[in-house]
Amino acid sequence: MKSIRARLTLSLGVLFFFSWCFGGLAVYLTLRSEMTAEFDRALRASTEALAGLSEQSQGAFDFDPAPEVMSRFERRDRPEYFQIWAANGTTLVRSPSLRQADLPRLAGTLSAPHLWNLILPDGLRGRAIGLRFPPKQDEDTPPAGLVHEVTLVMASHREELGNRLGLIKSVLLLAGAGTAVATVLVVTLVVRRGLWPLSQLAERATTIDASSLGERFASKKMPDEVSQISRRLNDLMARLEGSFTREKRFSGDVAHELRTPIAELRTLAEVALRWPDDVAATRKVLQDALEIALQMESLVAGLLTLARCEAGLLAVHPEAIPIEELIREILHSLAREIEAKRLAVTLHVPESTCWLTDRVALRSMVTNLLANAVQHSPSGSAIQLHIESGVPAGRLRISNATKELAQEDLPQLFERFWRKDGARSSNANCGLGLALTRAYAQALGMTFRAELTDDSEITFELSGAQTCEAREAHQTFLAPNE
Amino acid sequence: MRLLLVEDSKRLQTSLQRGLRKSGYAVDVTGDGEEGRWLSESNNYDVIILDLMLPRLDGLSLLRQLRASHRATHVLILTARDTVEDRVSGLQAGADDYLIKPFAFEELLARVQALCRRSYQRKNPRIVIGDLQIDTAARRVTSKGRNIELTPREFMLLEYLVLRRGEVLSRSEIEAHIYPDSAELMSNAVDSAVCTLRRKIDSDRPGARIRTRRGMGYVFESTSE
Repeated sequence: MKSIRARLTLSLGVLFFFSWCFGGLAVYLTLRSEMTAEFDRALRASTEALAGLSEQSQGAFDFDPAPEVMSRFERRDRPEYFQIWAANGTTLVRSPSLRQADLPRLAGTLSAPHLWNLILPDGLRGRAIGLRFPPKQDEDTPPAGLVHEVTLVMASHREELGNRLGLIKSVLLLAGAGTAVATVLVVTLVVRRGLWPLSQLAERATTIDASSLGERFASKKMPDEVSQISRRLNDLMARLEGSFTREKRFSGDVAHELRTPIAELRTLAEVALRWPDDVAATRKVLQDALEIALQMESLVAGLLTLARCEAGLLAVHPEAIPIEELIREILHSLAREIEAKRLAVTLHVPESTCWLTDRVALRSMVTNLLANAVQHSPSGSAIQLHIESGVPAGRLRISNATKELAQEDLPQLFERFWRKDGARSSNANCGLGLALTRAYAQALGMTFRAELTDDSEITFELSGAQTCEAREAHQTFLAPNE
Repeated sequence: MRLLLVEDSKRLQTSLQRGLRKSGYAVDVTGDGEEGRWLSESNNYDVIILDLMLPRLDGLSLLRQLRASHRATHVLILTARDTVEDRVSGLQAGADDYLIKPFAFEELLARVQALCRRSYQRKNPRIVIGDLQIDTAARRVTSKGRNIELTPREFMLLEYLVLRRGEVLSRSEIEAHIYPDSAELMSNAVDSAVCTLRRKIDSDRPGARIRTRRGMGYVFESTSE
């Protein structure tokens, strides 16, 4: 059974049913015990009254009841019964209602009489009490001889008691059945009302598809339990919406990055073939075709490297790299662009800084970061490059002014093909540089992050690089044990 | 026929401009959305070829603004965006056609020609006026079965005059329609082009099909049909 509503209804129904059964049984047994005790007390009082009428005078037994006492034993409808035996078992007296019949001769003491159920001589159910007692002595006649105990058994109909108990039983059963039905109805209703917000939630969920991920579940006016689910679902929706948006943008970007150069190549070739007479134009076509091929080669290489990094297949060959030398080489390759934009590049590198990492990956990362800084810095601005070395790890920070970026761009900065320029007009890069840098950093066990300060300065930080000093310190630490 | 190409890829700009001009169209080119909007609102183009991802103003916004200003110029969207959503939103924004990159130049040309025909409510690419037959798709002209060799610009002039036959077209109107904005023209460029065209199409018959209306311009006589 998978329905919460059915499970709750059944569980609560069963719980109420058994609670009612136990409660009803306890009430019935208590009432029966009390009523039987009450009946027994009345029977005992009557028996003790009868015993009080017995006398012993000069060895003879005397029983002289008043007529109003005897009327109970003489009536025709449901009379009471008694019988008195001498110690030797001879019947001394029996009630007129017994005629010649005998009652069972069972007895306890006066203080603890014996009580039991029996079938009365008229065939109906009854209850009897038996006790042994010495009849009192006649006060006028002094005792002459041995005083004998007699046995008195008195029986009374218990049909009325049985009927009353039966009525109580019926009332309890009927009330139990009614309560069970009412319980099922009330529980069903309560459970349905209680689960209504969940049904609402499910109904809302069925209306949401990929085109409506911007919608949210209502969490106000909902019970706390459902409100929590709504909030979690809304968080999930927000994440899904973000993923869908990124995926959609990625597909569009891939389409643009791949289709546009192919379209350029195809149109160049078709137009050149259609009008082949213009030699200068044909030469330009060939130059453009070469540029497009190189651009696509770079794109494919970038994508393959990213795929290798993400699959953990990038071969890392750590070696000691003098970091300042590497950075100066890269800056030298960018000298023309730096000069064209009149950029002031400041390098803060501690002397003899050396990192222990993969040369190709590190060169690619630093080249990407510096090329980005050069490309996006406003003309005449400054680029700051700080290296922190030492134990346990090295850190590289590249800062430059930017007018293009805003805080909301930062989460997308490292995504493949992301460009601030929605038109993607520039052929200078394809938007893979920062994604590649992050992938390389992860493969090398480094951390790569970006921060944008209020005065429009973007800083990229590569941290966690193993330094040569750290390795030496580690080896020195190990040396005494070797 | 005068076209506007709004495309931010320099290489596509160059090759498309060359191909379209060689095919007999006057082509204005820009790689910027804002400039594209300004050009499209300032000139009467027969067709605008429009990329969607443009700097400053994207293609869809440009198109919506164009339609909002009640410009009925035919627009062909030329883009790398290939999803059904993109195509639907492009056409719903007011585009007349949608072509996805990469594309065949032949196909682009055929679509541009079809849109040009629609500009003049024609479905048949062949125009027959008496002895003169003009195939706007094959860019060929015959008179009494004789093939007439025309340069792309002469063909453009003839096509424009024929499509507006019976109407007097001013020199500036003709100039704006068959020469791109960037062309440096002599003051008598239109007169000399009309003169050359007359010589080629009327050499085998008495009287001129293209008449001069003094002080007003030129008219292709509809009665000559």
